[in-house]
Amino acid sequence: MSDAGAVVAELIPPEPGGKKRREDAIDAPEVPLLFRIIATITFIYLLLPVVIVVLSGLNSGNYLTFPPEGLSLRWVQSFLTSDVFLPAYLFSLRLGFSVMVVSTLFGTMAAIFLTRVRFPGRSFVRAFFMAPLLLPGLVLGLALYVYYLNVPFFGLSRTFGGMLIGHLLVTMPFVIGTVSAALYGFDRSLEEAARSLGANPLKAFMSVTLPNIKSGITAGALFAFIVSFGQFDLSLMLSTPNNTPLPFAMYNSLRYQFEPTAAAAGVFAIALVVISMVLTARITNLSSFGGIKFS
Amino acid sequence: MASTAAQPQSVVVPQGGKRAHDLRANRTVLLIIPAAFIFIVFFVAPVAVMLAMAFNPSEVGLVGFSLNDLTLETFVRFFQKQLYWGSLVRSVWLAVLAAAIALVLGYPLAYLVAKEQRPGRANLYMILILASMQLDLIIRMYGFMILLGDQGLINDSLLRAGVIGAPLPLMYNTFGVVVGMVQLALPFMILSLIGVIQGINPSLEEAARSLGASQWKTFFSITFPMSMPGVLAGSLLVFAIAIGSYAVPVLMGGWRVIVMPMHIYQQVNEVGNWRFGAAIACILFAVSLAVVFVYHRYTEKYMGGLA
Repeated sequence: MSDAGAVVAELIPPEPGGKKRREDAIDAPEVPLLFRIIATITFIYLLLPVVIVVLSGLNSGNYLTFPPEGLSLRWVQSFLTSDVFLPAYLFSLRLGFSVMVVSTLFGTMAAIFLTRVRFPGRSFVRAFFMAPLLLPGLVLGLALYVYYLNVPFFGLSRTFGGMLIGHLLVTMPFVIGTVSAALYGFDRSLEEAARSLGANPLKAFMSVTLPNIKSGITAGALFAFIVSFGQFDLSLMLSTPNNTPLPFAMYNSLRYQFEPTAAAAGVFAIALVVISMVLTARITNLSSFGGIKFS
Repeated sequence: MASTAAQPQSVVVPQGGKRAHDLRANRTVLLIIPAAFIFIVFFVAPVAVMLAMAFNPSEVGLVGFSLNDLTLETFVRFFQKQLYWGSLVRSVWLAVLAAAIALVLGYPLAYLVAKEQRPGRANLYMILILASMQLDLIIRMYGFMILLGDQGLINDSLLRAGVIGAPLPLMYNTFGVVVGMVQLALPFMILSLIGVIQGINPSLEEAARSLGASQWKTFFSITFPMSMPGVLAGSLLVFAIAIGSYAVPVLMGGWRVIVMPMHIYQQVNEVGNWRFGAAIACILFAVSLAVVFVYHRYTEKYMGGLA
């Protein structure tokens, strides 16, 4: 079908300027059938575990069987009354929001500096801010744990603050990446125009630059929240019995047996991610996520 | 440094004298201070402490470090025992395998998204890919455990249908670990590729086609070579994510597939040998850094200014 369309497009004489015909040609992109098949398999592979967890969380039986036994809110109720999963979920929410606020603020500031001020070794400094992503979470967690014990001055060993700092290190690279990408795409002469019309630097930034890089900041903030919310390897080294994030609570219960309450907790975590994704898609262009360079 | 830093500012403040430049540049420096403070005090310093610890002779229960007592003992121990260096070989091999599989599975999907012209459809694809990546890793592994376990959905269905007599070994082995690692890292591969494929000028592909090249010939001689920066960046990311993951091999391999992060955890939390744990952590970090270094050399050499 699409091949035929392309052939027809070839036959139509080009319109003045040739613009229309070119658009038609691009409108019929050729994606080989094999690619379509593999892409479908990849999508299933990516999303199947999520679907399975949702089904188990809403399933009425103890084990998920095929076909499912029936719908029930039994595990959801068990999650809402759980003294393990509910506190862990709330703890993760609190941690995620704190990380998001601090990381977005500091990361945006750093991104403005890194894109606007030229100094020797700038690309090295930029790479330096991406470095925590290359360090395995467990290794970073170990380094911080040992450091907190060795430097009691900070009093961060086994505290909320100590874990927050660890999460900042792995979320700020995302904020710096997305905000830098937005700043590169922003025409700075607009801000200069505002300045020449008498606005002070802060006002010019707030009223001209900020609205233009909003999508990069939103994308970075979302990344920061969700990376923190799902962080496991790092939290493994830093969490304590009264500071247990959700992934850690789930891991503890899954090591020994299948616990459908964990799946119900998962349903709530999934809902959180989906809602924030959809909200973000409404206020920002998702292609800002492509701006992240990890190396 | 202040004068170079002030350079772009001079455009903003046309009437400002040199002192005004320096003042403004100094104020801009304030922006980087919080992030720089956190990164130097809580990233560089902890990694340095860990490095120092790794070179101290191993001793159970000792968390401190000393700069006067440096030795290679922990590293010698690591490379002498097959238990340890074997896990390094296994980790590297599994990460390479995960990168290769992620490329084969991820490229077609990235290509599909990159070539999608309908904005609504492209947005939906992006939401699905991002959602799969954003979801808690433990939840995703839980999904696989329900699916692949001995009493899991697949085995249960096949057993009841009488297709198989005994459960297929789908997890608690290398297969399960690779399934988990690829799932974990695949979205990063796809995101690395989408932008690069979109950046390829479609008229190049059209030119090849109009000169009579087949669809596949066009792909392998134009599209794929031109997307190499994305392929390399994505493979590097998948490798780094896969080799560093602790939760995936534990949950999907059930302690039967021993990789380096598991030794780190065991030394620290079970044996209490912090220094040896730190040494293994340093070796793991060194492997990731070596791969990044090779990647940078390669992109500089072959990609010129493209990457």
